[in-house]
Amino acid sequence: MNRAFTLRRARFVMLCLLPGVAFVAVFTYYPMIRGAVIAFQRYNLFDVTATPFAGLENFRAVLAEERFWTALRNTGTWVALSLFFQFFLGFGLALLLRRHFPGRALYQAWVFFPWAMSGFLIGLLWRWMFNGQFGVVNDLLLKAGLIDERIGFLATPGWAMTSVIVANIWYGVTFFAIMITAALQSVPGELYEAAAVDGASRTRRFWHVTLPHIRPTLALIVLLRVIWILNFPDLIYSMTGGGPAGGTDIITTFLIQQVIGGDYGRAGAVGLLVLGLLLSFSVFYLNATRFERAR
Amino acid sequence: MRKPVLTALPAVAAVATLVLASCGSGGQPGSGEVRLRMIESLTGPERTKLIKSLIADFERANPGVTVELVSPPLDSADQKITQILQTKKGLDVLEVRDHTAKSFSNNGWLAELPTTDWPGWSDLTELARKKAVEVGGKPYLIPYGFYQRTLFYRTDFGMAGPPATWQELYESGRRMTSGDRFGYSFRGGKGGADYAVMMISAYNGEALNPEKSFYLKDKRTIFSTPEAAQALDLFVKIFKDASPPDSVSWGYPEMVQGFTSGVTGMLIQDPEVIKTVEESGVTAWATAPIPKGPTGYAYQPVGYAGWGVTSFSEHQKQAVALVRFLSEAKQSIAFAKGNSLIPISTRAQDDPQFSQGAWKAYLQAQQDPKQVITIRPVDYPGWSQFLVDSDRDVQALITGKKTTAEVLAAWDAFWADQAKKVS
Repeated sequence: MNRAFTLRRARFVMLCLLPGVAFVAVFTYYPMIRGAVIAFQRYNLFDVTATPFAGLENFRAVLAEERFWTALRNTGTWVALSLFFQFFLGFGLALLLRRHFPGRALYQAWVFFPWAMSGFLIGLLWRWMFNGQFGVVNDLLLKAGLIDERIGFLATPGWAMTSVIVANIWYGVTFFAIMITAALQSVPGELYEAAAVDGASRTRRFWHVTLPHIRPTLALIVLLRVIWILNFPDLIYSMTGGGPAGGTDIITTFLIQQVIGGDYGRAGAVGLLVLGLLLSFSVFYLNATRFERAR
Repeated sequence: MRKPVLTALPAVAAVATLVLASCGSGGQPGSGEVRLRMIESLTGPERTKLIKSLIADFERANPGVTVELVSPPLDSADQKITQILQTKKGLDVLEVRDHTAKSFSNNGWLAELPTTDWPGWSDLTELARKKAVEVGGKPYLIPYGFYQRTLFYRTDFGMAGPPATWQELYESGRRMTSGDRFGYSFRGGKGGADYAVMMISAYNGEALNPEKSFYLKDKRTIFSTPEAAQALDLFVKIFKDASPPDSVSWGYPEMVQGFTSGVTGMLIQDPEVIKTVEESGVTAWATAPIPKGPTGYAYQPVGYAGWGVTSFSEHQKQAVALVRFLSEAKQSIAFAKGNSLIPISTRAQDDPQFSQGAWKAYLQAQQDPKQVITIRPVDYPGWSQFLVDSDRDVQALITGKKTTAEVLAAWDAFWADQAKKVS
């Protein structure tokens, strides 16, 4: 350390940081804070010339709505089931992708493709595939003799949730596959050789070499995915619009409906509630995984 | 490497200035050139092309004026326009839709369009002139065309003629329904409540106040009457006995697809569907005015959008000239044709496209005094909220989670409360 951290140098560093900080402040923090403030205002798009502060009125109104609680319950189902299947199918796919075969790089790129598509567009595609009258899913099931009568997938409450989750699983598997493939490639090959020499079986190698190595990465991907799945109303919105009768509403589609209804105040309140929910989940989750590592 | 800061700072400042400058309005002082910025809302590739060609005509007729058209994607266009309007900068001409007109004018973003010194005004149909001043009593926009619903029906599905009433529609629909074929393209998804309201209105008959179409002439809401319950019961029956079960989630594309693919025999939709049906494989079809209620009335609003000028435009004169140009007979008829809209010009009646074939049903409806055009309470603060809530209620109703009485009670309470807020 021969270069002293002088005041002048500190000033220079600050100046270099300034544009970045300013950018983030203007385009990230300002809208966020503004959104949070709106949550405490009576802010209806119908007339934005009068937006008095209303205390906790918006929160009270949102929490008093039965739809909010339905959406919250649905959010749990949506996140848990989507995550579960995305994770395990993605993991399986990653293990397959680890093997060497000709054209693997190209194949990996193809596998990743759905992830690059817009969620809204994917929703529209699945909406047609699940259509009760002209949908290809019904057609295939009929031709395979698995059903006798067309199913209105998006029109029946139970099926609608299943359908949007299936679409989401299809969409998210590839993300897990690619992330886990990358993690697997970081496990040093010597460890496997050493384990093999010691006579460890395939399963044992997986449990005692692979898994401990990629665990931190897995923990992080799962956290990210929980946040993303919860913040991913695109699919549901374009497939069912939250219907039938709120059967597939999750908290973020509920938020969109508040925005479309013009009540930005309530929408802001829902936004803050989502933020609180995710924050507490993250804290809880990170604590839990730290415990894992300490062990 | 002595003072990199001194060179870096001006560079950052220069970039920032450039970025900010490009955000501002385009008028360049001194050059005599006027640049108008215009934004559309119902963006579509064909439509944008048409608007651009009309703009090119305008630019040729007005040397020294150029128009830059901004075409945001349809789904978020109105939000984007609202954001731009909030900054009160950099926009001269804009597309105003029936449901944005009130909030735009309430917030003082729209300029009043002078009509007295404009010969084109008297060329507009009565409806166009009425809709131009619908919000706030002043012409804040000139409509460019209208959407109104009409009944599409298959002539080869065993119907002697189009159903004249909702009861007839139900009966013909039920007869048609068997196996994979259904009577009616029901809308249970987004926008479904609109059809329920259409039926409830028709059943209320003469008592309804067309100027405030969710209310009766005696100020009660249209949802409070026994006729409303009859209408909504029939609405549910049409779904259960004459429509595909899947239509719980049907929106615009599924309804149209249902009709053009031969799954359903009847469809109630806007004029742009005429084009779609013509291009589909269906050949045996016709149109008719929408069905009526038991006392012979049918009510429906007319959807519209138009062009307006911002209150903060720096080139009011040229912006107004552009709106006028677009609203004159030749341009407006071309625009209505291109977009399958009911035209705003009285001269369109001479045009064969609008007086023959599928379009004839519109003419028929216009001439029938009991096919009444209504004004929906779009200027009430709860309007947008109702659109979201009522669609959900309709789904709950047809899936048996709510009863007719519960839905009507909720709607009645909502609009009775809204009446208090406005008066």
